Amino acid sequence: MQIPPGVPDLFLPIPIKQELGSVMKKLAIQARNISKTYYAGTKKFKALNEVSIEVRSGEFVMITGRNGSGKSTLLHQLALLDSPDVGEIRIQGEITSHLPESRRMGLRLSRLGYIFQEYALIAELTALENVMLPAMMLGSSGLAKRKATDLLNKVGLEQKFSRLPSQLSGGEQQKVAIARALVNDPKIIFADEPTANLDTVASKDILSIFKFLNEKEGITILMVTHEPEELSYASRKINLVDGRVV
Amino acid sequence: MNSQLRLPFYLTWQYIRRGKKWTLALTLMMMTIAFINLIFISSLFAGIIDGSNKQIINTMTGDIYITPPNGQDLIYNKDKIVRDIEAVDGVLAASAQIRVPATLEYNHLRGNWQILAINPDDERLVTNLADKIVSGTFLTQDDEDQIIIGRQIAGGDGVEENAFSFKGAKVGEKVTMSFNGFSKEFTIKGISYTKFLESDKRAFISEKALSKIIPSTQNSATTITVKTKDNTSSETTVAIIKSKLDNSNVYLWSEVAGMMKSVGESFVSINVLMSFVGVLIAAVTIFIVIYVDIVNKKKQIGILRAIGIKPYIIILSYVILSAVYSVIGVALGTVIFKFAIIPYFQTHPFVLPICDAVLVLSNTEYIIRAETIMWVSVISGLIPATITVRSNLLDAILGK
Repeated sequence: MQIPPGVPDLFLPIPIKQELGSVMKKLAIQARNISKTYYAGTKKFKALNEVSIEVRSGEFVMITGRNGSGKSTLLHQLALLDSPDVGEIRIQGEITSHLPESRRMGLRLSRLGYIFQEYALIAELTALENVMLPAMMLGSSGLAKRKATDLLNKVGLEQKFSRLPSQLSGGEQQKVAIARALVNDPKIIFADEPTANLDTVASKDILSIFKFLNEKEGITILMVTHEPEELSYASRKINLVDGRVV
Repeated sequence: MNSQLRLPFYLTWQYIRRGKKWTLALTLMMMTIAFINLIFISSLFAGIIDGSNKQIINTMTGDIYITPPNGQDLIYNKDKIVRDIEAVDGVLAASAQIRVPATLEYNHLRGNWQILAINPDDERLVTNLADKIVSGTFLTQDDEDQIIIGRQIAGGDGVEENAFSFKGAKVGEKVTMSFNGFSKEFTIKGISYTKFLESDKRAFISEKALSKIIPSTQNSATTITVKTKDNTSSETTVAIIKSKLDNSNVYLWSEVAGMMKSVGESFVSINVLMSFVGVLIAAVTIFIVIYVDIVNKKKQIGILRAIGIKPYIIILSYVILSAVYSVIGVALGTVIFKFAIIPYFQTHPFVLPICDAVLVLSNTEYIIRAETIMWVSVISGLIPATITVRSNLLDAILGK
């Protein structure tokens, strides 16, 4: 387009760039056309089929869908635990699809938190030590201990620092896992059916913590669930059917 | 040390401290057994070699063995030579022998055995024959009509070479010694049993008895055996004795051990082979034990990777864990071996035709085997940990 002389700056593309930039900054996660196929011998199963999603910073998004719809697969790709066959994933604007494992690991350590369905705590470490572990990668053990203590207090495990995972209930273990996910001050938390193994009371407890983290701490949360009653905690839901967003 | 470098040690300590006690106990037991197996075979062969060497030295050759000058049958003026040799620094005692080319006859059974005329007092200081008399007593200087015969000459039930023996000659019975058409009757004064076949096929009379029969043998010898003090270099002593004796041939015991030297060398070869097999078995055992241990922790390794723990920290924690297993295994193995197995076999030695073998473990052999176990353990920890750390992260997390 040819701009006539004397036309004000209003028509120059700079403001458009700025607007795009601010939108990009607000995006915590962006996935474009990601696909993932699993192979079992000669059989192949397309778990994700050209999925595109965007999650803005501060959102609490729940991914729903039936078993085998690709919920966990999507979460694994977004949390950098796996790589899509095709497509692009950006975490806080950084393209991650083709990053080496060392860099992906660095991102997992410092910017992302992951909460597994089955807690995934280290059996030989106490609650406090489990939470301290990722922090010890980034700082002194003294600082790690202070942060871990603080987080365990926040999730209500003041009296159980020295308990091993086997000495904690499912809900308590999941709280330790949440504290561990938070210890390096991540901006995004991924949770893969974190309440699947918990009773109703413990589930509500965990979801309340997520709600608090999202609303008070501004942490972006992406959670997989297949419990309809949990959707009320989320600000948005993404529904997957046969590996596609619907 | 920053916390990242401390992390592998920290993780290892917690694995040991809080891991499953039974798994830990079984792993350590396997490491201990693997180490004991490795040193046991080596020690047994070393014990057999050491035992047979001692038998040769203590019953036949002494530490140093002297024969007449080339072209001569006898060492003359042997009393002076023995005194001169005994004056050499490092020499404990020397004893001269004359080999008598005679046959022995008992109850119409006749045979050619090695018969030696000795000075019993000198012989006591060089060999342990006097302590190996199982029936009767040893010779004295003045015994002119007495003879000591080895167990393989006396024969009897259970004697290895009974077929070629006197088939049960006893102390107090008479044997006839014949040579060059001359015969003399001797009374069996004692029967020696050294548990070394070659030595037990010999008979002994006093040099006084021989000089009565052949006066020309007085003050001469066919061999002189020498015992050196402990911690003395026999090679140096051989050199000194050679310089004192003009023409006589002076040998280290190992040079005249003959067939036994070959046997010893064969045992050394077998020991090397068995040690290699032992190391291989220990390596495979340790590898399997540690591999299974780490494979069982695949999920845990996956979780550590997922939360951002660097691979080198994970690998190092398992390498250190393996090294700790091996150190404890070696330590336990050493304690059991030193304070239970060795003492047991000292009181219950392996009875062999050449010696009663006990377990002998040199420091060098011990260190080599301990190092072997440790290196094998470290590699056994390194390989599966590296494989697991490099495997697909999701597979590891899911424990696939």
